[in-house]
Amino acid sequence: MSRRLTAIALGLLLALAMGLLSWVWARPATVVRVLMPAPFADATADLVATFNRAHRDVRIAVTRGPFETDAVSDLAISSLLLGDSPYDLLLMDVTWTAKYAAAGWLEPLDPWLGPEALEPLVTGARAGNRIDGRLYRLPLVADMGLLYWRTDLMAAPPRTPDELVAIARALQQQGKVRWGYVWQGRQYEGLSCVFVELISGFGGQWGPGEAGVGLASPAAARAAGWLQQLVNEGISPRAVANFAEPEALQSFEAGEAAFMRNWPYAWQELQRPGSAVAGRVGITTMVAEPGAAPAATQGSWGFSLLSGSPHPETAVTVLRALTGEASQRRLVSRYGYTPTLQHLFDDPELVAERPQLPQLRQALDQAVLRPLNPGYAQLSDILQRQLSALISGRGEAATAMARAGRESDLLLRASGQEVGR
Amino acid sequence: MSSLLLMAPALLLLLAVFVWPLLDYAWLSLQAQSVFTGLETVPVGAANWQRLLADGRFWQDAGQTLRFALVSVALELVAGLAIALLLHQRWRGRGTVRSLALLPWALPTTVMALGWRWIFNDPHGPLNGVVQSLGLATVPFLASPDLAWVATVVADVWKTTPFVALLLLAGLQMIPADLYEAFALEGGTPWQGLRRITLPLLRPYIFIAALFRLAQALGVFDLIAVLTGGGPASSTESLAVYAYLNAMRFLDFGYSATVMLGMFLLLLLGAAALLLWRRQAEVGA
Amino acid sequence: MTKTASLRLEGLCRRIGERAILDGINLEVAAGECLALLGPSGCGKSTVLRVIAGLDPCDEGRILLDGRDITHRPPARRRVAMVFQSYALYPHLSVERNLTLGMELRGVPPEQREQELAAVLELLQLGGLRRRRPAQLSGGQRQRVALARALLRKPQLMLLDEPMSNLDAQLREELRPQLRAILSGGRAPAIHVTHDQQEAMGIADRIAVLHDGRLQQCGTPRELYHHPANLFVAGFIGRPQINLLPQDDGTVVGIRPEHLVAVDSGGVPVRVRSREWHGASQQLLLESAQGPLRWTCDGNQEIGEELRLGWEPRHEHRFREASGERLGSPGRHA
Repeated sequence: MSRRLTAIALGLLLALAMGLLSWVWARPATVVRVLMPAPFADATADLVATFNRAHRDVRIAVTRGPFETDAVSDLAISSLLLGDSPYDLLLMDVTWTAKYAAAGWLEPLDPWLGPEALEPLVTGARAGNRIDGRLYRLPLVADMGLLYWRTDLMAAPPRTPDELVAIARALQQQGKVRWGYVWQGRQYEGLSCVFVELISGFGGQWGPGEAGVGLASPAAARAAGWLQQLVNEGISPRAVANFAEPEALQSFEAGEAAFMRNWPYAWQELQRPGSAVAGRVGITTMVAEPGAAPAATQGSWGFSLLSGSPHPETAVTVLRALTGEASQRRLVSRYGYTPTLQHLFDDPELVAERPQLPQLRQALDQAVLRPLNPGYAQLSDILQRQLSALISGRGEAATAMARAGRESDLLLRASGQEVGR
Repeated sequence: MSSLLLMAPALLLLLAVFVWPLLDYAWLSLQAQSVFTGLETVPVGAANWQRLLADGRFWQDAGQTLRFALVSVALELVAGLAIALLLHQRWRGRGTVRSLALLPWALPTTVMALGWRWIFNDPHGPLNGVVQSLGLATVPFLASPDLAWVATVVADVWKTTPFVALLLLAGLQMIPADLYEAFALEGGTPWQGLRRITLPLLRPYIFIAALFRLAQALGVFDLIAVLTGGGPASSTESLAVYAYLNAMRFLDFGYSATVMLGMFLLLLLGAAALLLWRRQAEVGA
Repeated sequence: MTKTASLRLEGLCRRIGERAILDGINLEVAAGECLALLGPSGCGKSTVLRVIAGLDPCDEGRILLDGRDITHRPPARRRVAMVFQSYALYPHLSVERNLTLGMELRGVPPEQREQELAAVLELLQLGGLRRRRPAQLSGGQRQRVALARALLRKPQLMLLDEPMSNLDAQLREELRPQLRAILSGGRAPAIHVTHDQQEAMGIADRIAVLHDGRLQQCGTPRELYHHPANLFVAGFIGRPQINLLPQDDGTVVGIRPEHLVAVDSGGVPVRVRSREWHGASQQLLLESAQGPLRWTCDGNQEIGEELRLGWEPRHEHRFREASGERLGSPGRHA
């Protein structure tokens, strides 16, 4: 009886002590709010938990945004337009940086990270973070366009557009594949990504400073014409005009196509059980004309500090932690993301786990940035409209590209920017 | 005076939710506010409106939106009337079918649009499965500028016909059955009954359904955003999608407000035309 | 007097599931004759009309119109006109269009349409209302429009389903002779459904009493009153209701309230419980050993008064209690 009473009394005391202790522990911590697209929120969940356990005075609160890139942007912009942003950090696509910076929504990171912040990064991840000499973004993972090819159908991947067409046509004629090449032809950002690689591969360049932002050029016309030819000659399905990444992946995964243009994430999807091409896929950079540089459209996601954050310094601490080596290692080994830290590509442990890392690095060295301009979304939209028309069988490449160039110049001029000659 | 006082809350509400945003947009349409101005507003007079008038894309989208709305709503009215007439008859299992028929309407548009994107998929979608089983070449429904807008119409008709059918069914149930009996005894056929009794008596319901649906269809956004993204070659882009692009993608709020107002003015014109048509139809009856 | 039966119903049956709504109805209506179908609500009288019109299916039996079997013809091809209880006027059409629509459907040429319209508007005094919509008409006016529409059909048979039930009592009384004049003016037989026996007696040449889907009796108002075929008809026809006195031998004696007379001795001892004064006569509610009795008389009895009542044997109706069927036949009143 008395023993039981003692036990109860002891239990009560213990509870009291723990209550006091937790009160002491629960001293208000600085909360750093981060908005990420859903896949990244999921992939970083344990990193965030680890960080929160290790830091008593800082807590990371992640908002799991939507899946789609555009939907995340919509969510971020909607909250930013309301004035005080509910977030301190935002995980951004590379194409948003210029726009957000011009809108005054981003805080330069230089005061905290210093001028050498980008030094440890692989070349292909450095561009697109600095605008007018100020650092606005620190990349977390790299992303670049890749050419996927079937190792069981050919000994080596094609290097030029003509080779690609020749191999594809031969395989189609032999009945080995239904389609030669699948890519992203839907009227959306993915189409611009496809084109950036090709204009470069045909010896041109898309960007302000060129006449008609580089679109009113023979290279642009030939690149666009090549895409149109792919559809017209049946190398690519007509349906490619509504293909986004998932549709291209679906077709390639089913073993229907000899080549696919996609991002690194597709690699893991293709190795899954149920994939018709598991273990029979190689990756390389996009084809280019002899003498022209093969190119990979640079994607990449990185953290930006939002102006108006009540505690920028703490937020930068979190930014550093999330983009740090330990974090990147985990994202690479566990989720198959591509790191941005240069030395991780040579890390024997990681390379053993992810044998495609050297190829990814190679592609990253060829990375080409989409125009770094506050009006990029409009420039891209102008391009997509013309390309989409060509792919869906309307118009002629040179005329369409010339028109896109004119419209782009008009836009830049209207916005007070200089137009190249 | 006292009646004005009584109406004041309603008037204030109307002012707050309707007139104020409209005035705000009107003001914004006279400003440049975009990413290029650092989101500061700069008065530019009628520049946005001049741009709108010369903007081929706006007029192309206006035409496309109008085509989408008119064709969709017309088909929805015909199909909705047919379904309503069917559901108005007595037959076994009618109750179940009545509730099932509402499913498409209850489905979120984005989910529904994803479903249709799959159905129209070339070559894996079920529709192309049918096409292939007939021994024909697959059809790139969403990849052809001539077909994609038809696909958007089909999806919209599928989604909103139940709404129209339900509205018209309510109307049908308001028509006394003995009118048809009297009509039959006078020598009228069912087809004549539809023309002489059902349609005239259903006219207020048809009008409401058409007005509702036109307003909705002219503002179509999510269906198109998910199904085609406005493509290919912007052939399915609606004015709402264009206004969205300008605001949320291009961060060009001045012009987006102008596009939105332009759309509103066109809508107003359409509504006026409809009202006029109705008045004339009434006088003619 | 033998008339060619213009409408003839032979063993008409209508069933819904197991339930018989109409159970072997046999009827004949002569050309130019107006027959009232009388019965309490739910007796199937409206169903008879609907089956004749072809609006409800006929499960058994035949309908012969002028000798032709129309049992399975569609309503539109029966040349039957009907005035609905609700009048069923087309609410979106003017009086004029309500009346001409049918002629238009039947392909009557425009000039003839105009002529017939003018005639019927004149007949029913609707001239001033021709541009009005039904909603702008009074109940009586609507009834006239419905009647006009039915007349324009040039029917071989006219059906009227409770045409007066939506009108107030006074209007009903005023319209009765009008309706009668119009119906007897036509050559087509008419069937007029009502639950109001006064209306039936006022308009019809003959009355058919319906109960539980069965025809109880068919005859002139006089026949039904003085010679009811069974207990139901006896109780249903005649207001105030007939007095029914159960006997020990399993029969029931029926005496009309006006046939009771005060007697000095014998008869039934009664006490006056209440009375209604009707001017020319008064109706007394009496208490007796066999239950309450009704007596119509011109005396001056007071409430509480006790007296004895008897009747002449020729006024006595006798029925078998179990089946309700009539027994014997006292002197017929022609």
